[in-house]
Amino acid sequence: MKRYVLSAVTALALSISSVQAQADAPEEVTIGYLNLVNAQLVTKSLGLVQEEMPDVEINYIKVGGGGDMLRAIAADQVDFGGLGNPPTAIGVTRQLPIQGIMVLNMLDYVEAMAVRTSEDIKSLKDLEGKTIAAPFGSTTHYLLLNALNDEGIDPASMEIIDLRPNDIAQAWARGDIDAAWFWEPALGRVLEGDANLFMTSGIMAERGYPTWDVGVVMNEFAEQYPDYVEKFVRAECKGIDFWLNNPAETAEIIAEELQLDLRDATRMMQGTKMVPCDEQLTAQYMGDSNARGAFVDNLMSTSTFLHEQKRLPKVPSRETYEAFLVPQYLEAVVQ
Amino acid sequence: MGTHNEATTRAMSFDDGVPQRQMRMPPLIRRNIENGKYLSFLTVAFVLGAWFLVTGMGWANPLFLPSPVSVWQSFVEVATTGYQGSTLLEHIATSLYRILAAFAAACLVGIPLGVMMGTSRAANRIFNPIIEFYRPLPPLGLYTLLVMWLGIGESSKLALLFLSGLPGIIIATISAVSDINPNYIRAARSLGASRWDLIREVYLPGSGPTILTGMRISLGFIYTVLVAAEIVAATAGIGWMIWDAAKFLLGDVVIMGLIVLGLTGMALDFILKITGRVIMPWTKLKTH
Repeated sequence: MKRYVLSAVTALALSISSVQAQADAPEEVTIGYLNLVNAQLVTKSLGLVQEEMPDVEINYIKVGGGGDMLRAIAADQVDFGGLGNPPTAIGVTRQLPIQGIMVLNMLDYVEAMAVRTSEDIKSLKDLEGKTIAAPFGSTTHYLLLNALNDEGIDPASMEIIDLRPNDIAQAWARGDIDAAWFWEPALGRVLEGDANLFMTSGIMAERGYPTWDVGVVMNEFAEQYPDYVEKFVRAECKGIDFWLNNPAETAEIIAEELQLDLRDATRMMQGTKMVPCDEQLTAQYMGDSNARGAFVDNLMSTSTFLHEQKRLPKVPSRETYEAFLVPQYLEAVVQ
Repeated sequence: MGTHNEATTRAMSFDDGVPQRQMRMPPLIRRNIENGKYLSFLTVAFVLGAWFLVTGMGWANPLFLPSPVSVWQSFVEVATTGYQGSTLLEHIATSLYRILAAFAAACLVGIPLGVMMGTSRAANRIFNPIIEFYRPLPPLGLYTLLVMWLGIGESSKLALLFLSGLPGIIIATISAVSDINPNYIRAARSLGASRWDLIREVYLPGSGPTILTGMRISLGFIYTVLVAAEIVAATAGIGWMIWDAAKFLLGDVVIMGLIVLGLTGMALDFILKITGRVIMPWTKLKTH
């Protein structure tokens, strides 16, 4: 009798603990990644996330841009995602259930404004009366309008049209547009033709308008599987370290993932700034649990700007953005 | 005369003499209720009610299904202050211009082409492969080609809308022309009608009502393609407004735009239908 009770209790305890263990692990994880050059490509190619979570099925979904990523998040189609600062401002204001967990990349000359050489555009003022393209709602659209604003040029004095980067390359070849602020690899294709580089996102960052992409996780996923968020961040940090320590191999990986030639991949790599994970916790970027960093200021100025553009119904409070940025996972990884 | 006894009350009632409670309603309205003419109002009322209920109870994500009140507010705001530089009327006008220009072009090309293909077997064989091939192609796929050839201006948009509306008109015209009672044609021929007379006096009037139906369906196709046409490099238009607002997660503007688009479509269809009845009084009246 005693042996029977003992074995029954043991069986019960084991089954409870196994149920607990199952509840702690997701069956599959969907990672939405942007069509950009950053260390996520390295992490994906090297399978670093799968290494961290061996029993989980990892799905990678390539997303075209910030708008598409917002839609994917709103439709609950991804667990992890990435957003530039304007889409982040939009998403947080619209109360999408996400939290920012790490810095994916800072944008330098991988995003830039190209001008038609034959139009002889020497300054922003020369753009008046011309046709300029940018993907609306993106980092580059935000920078274009800020750049014009800084010099007191009225955007209504020129025609600003909404085109995706591939459409910009096509329209450029047809001669339909005179300038465009967009990103690689379409940017590289355009620069080979009747175009030259006029302004880069790196220059705008120095002027006080940094643009970046932040990694986000759905709140529900983070609540259910916080260890797995940490595993994801650890994997991505390894990817960033690989990028910083092995530029040649990284260029090859990027060339393969985005189907580019090595020269383009190298150029795009050099135009994107990756931040090592321990540095991400400093005041220049996300900050830490005690005090959030400059990213909050960036998001505030981005939202204020979008609000003035009548793209956002209101500007969220600093506290909202401070709550959005969650450095705990980075801190756990960096220790 | 002066007294109202049972007999006179019964004589005044509008039923067949069986004692019933007299309904205090004008007879026309009562008959329409019995016919079910007001069922459409019931449907609309039901949908609106469901919308209020679902959003009021918080069963839907406000990002995807905003409340009717916020949709109305965005309507008022866009109608007065505008959306990204144009008022609602300006957006509607831009889209209507594109729709009507493409529709007119589709009719001007489609009806003569359809008559030709309907009356001449050679013409039918020549044009059929082209139409049958491009007809099922998805508009967005066609559009990338059109933008490559015609650029990002109005011409590619109008071309897309034109190509979407054309097949419906051609096919309806061919079918209408082929369905004409051959006795009419023989009778006209026996009275000495030439080919041109036949077209003017027999084919066109006889096929008119069916062609009009084809035109109405075509207009509907053009509407479905409007948003696709206004995605690339547009700065105004209802389709563009819907697409742009969706990018910034402005669900109320999106829904408002869709409703406005639908209402303009209904209005245009109604105008077409009434115009058809006026200029072609021989249209067989069906149950619409």
